[in-house]
Amino acid sequence: MINELKDPRKVFGEAVMEAALENQNIVVLSADSSSGSGLGNFPAKFPDRHFEFGIMEQGVIGFACGLATTGKIPVFAAIAPFVTARPYEMFRNDLGYMNQNVKVVGRCAGLTYDQLGSTHHSLDDVAIIRTIPGVTVINPGDPVTIGKAVHAMLNHLGPCYMKIGNPPMPVLYPDDIEFRLGKGIVIQDGHDVALIATGTVLSKAVVAARLLEEAGVSVRLIDMHTIKPLDHDLILSAAREIGKIVTVEEHFLAGGLGSAIAELCSQEYPAKMKMIGIDDLYASNGPYEQLIGKYGLQPDQIKETVIHFLTNK
Amino acid sequence: MGKNEILNLEYTALNLRRNILRLIRAGESGHVGGALSSVEILTALYFNLLKIDPKKPDWPQRDRFVLSAGHKCLVLYAALAERGFFDKSVLDTYGALDSRVPGHPNMHKLPGVETNTGALGHGLSIAGGMSLGLKLDKSDSKVFVVMGDGELAEGSNWEAASAAAMHKLDKLIVFVDRNKLQISGPTVEVMSYEPLEERWRSFGWGVRTIDGHNLETIIDTVNQTPFTKGKPSVIIADTLKSKGLSFAEGKVSYHYWKAKPQELEQAEKDLDVMEKLLKTKMEEIEL
Repeated sequence: MINELKDPRKVFGEAVMEAALENQNIVVLSADSSSGSGLGNFPAKFPDRHFEFGIMEQGVIGFACGLATTGKIPVFAAIAPFVTARPYEMFRNDLGYMNQNVKVVGRCAGLTYDQLGSTHHSLDDVAIIRTIPGVTVINPGDPVTIGKAVHAMLNHLGPCYMKIGNPPMPVLYPDDIEFRLGKGIVIQDGHDVALIATGTVLSKAVVAARLLEEAGVSVRLIDMHTIKPLDHDLILSAAREIGKIVTVEEHFLAGGLGSAIAELCSQEYPAKMKMIGIDDLYASNGPYEQLIGKYGLQPDQIKETVIHFLTNK
Repeated sequence: MGKNEILNLEYTALNLRRNILRLIRAGESGHVGGALSSVEILTALYFNLLKIDPKKPDWPQRDRFVLSAGHKCLVLYAALAERGFFDKSVLDTYGALDSRVPGHPNMHKLPGVETNTGALGHGLSIAGGMSLGLKLDKSDSKVFVVMGDGELAEGSNWEAASAAAMHKLDKLIVFVDRNKLQISGPTVEVMSYEPLEERWRSFGWGVRTIDGHNLETIIDTVNQTPFTKGKPSVIIADTLKSKGLSFAEGKVSYHYWKAKPQELEQAEKDLDVMEKLLKTKMEEIEL
């Protein structure tokens, strides 16, 4: 049901369980992390296909690589910085360079581990993982697309990184929404500005777009759930047809979705851009909604930023 | 094993050393010290122990070999070429642009290479995962690993060691090529791993220490694995860095060798002497 709140980890875990019933090759690896990743029921349901390792993320990436060489499809989910920043070299060499069919999922990503501070925030995961050739980077923004992204990721042959948040998130899409890796979703069309959002703050951009429409601004709202490979066609058509792009992400400005779009547009079709995200700093701590408000990610703030961007030429 | 069989393997080991020299001649430099110290280990593996088929490098039932210390790749190329995975002329491209034999192995470039190693401390986890996957498939295939002793300072190895024991991977067999030298000097002085046997044992592994240049011992020892049912096995192979090159043996400066012409000449002579000795041994057996 649209706007119903759902736990992203639970949705993720259920989708993996569903896929594992169909595909015997799917195995789950845990760094003391399965229960916290919505996979608490996996060991009981598939006792031979769940491997516990304790808290050793570097080693788990290597084991996942080795399992993949034997035809298994390993899924490894844990707190986002611990599966990206910490084992970066293992991700790059063992999964990327070796091109192994492993699915790494960073949960409680972005600022969603709000109170726990910068060690547990993940604002650089997209930046570092998207530099690895051949890795698909997925950042779905609602429970329906999380479920679909899990199936798409497991059906895709090659290393993937998917990030999901922590607090319950609103359903934005009907169950039959078409989801394809590498193809963004145009939620609404418009002609004054292209608002391109990803992941946990997509729902904030949806509300911001409504506020902007109410203020007389016509918004083309795009859900860029796959950051790599990036949907060049969708972005370049926005650049050509509108020429003004605002990106919204719960990630550092350096290296995230905004950067990826700027890299493309600056070479192919320069457009005026504004990037909304977290600047070059260690984010603070506090209740999630207040915390993202500190960094300008609440709908009314996004609206103000867009209006300021459009009126200050 | 019969004496003839051992002697044939010793000839093969000599050929591997000649192949390593051939690579160095092409590329003019390379990580020769650790490649030469593990020649007998790879000879035993590729010419006696491993269940492999060079015509079917992706055969699912094969045994796996992971060169965790990827910088020892010259010996891997030497063994694979000798075993017929690819033509020996590939060895002559070492050091050239786009060569299929890079300074660290690349599985996408060469048949028979199982992993892209080079960054130390990766191989044991990957091998553990392979072994776990094969176990899940109820396969009899074994997974072999060669690690360097300097590499043991990488903490990730000990994550892998714990996990392999925890998951009872008793078809996982690790060689530590203990040549006792790393770039900055004697390994135990740079970062001590002693007591090495006890360390592995405390991580839940079966442990043996052997002469890493004795082919018969290497093969006999592997044939006794798992040393304890349900436990992974580690064979600490005492070796000599740059084994076979009179001017380089036991010298840390030949960890990475920038070969001078006169050294290459001497290396050839050293291997010729080795061959003469083997011929004499062969004649003695035939008599």
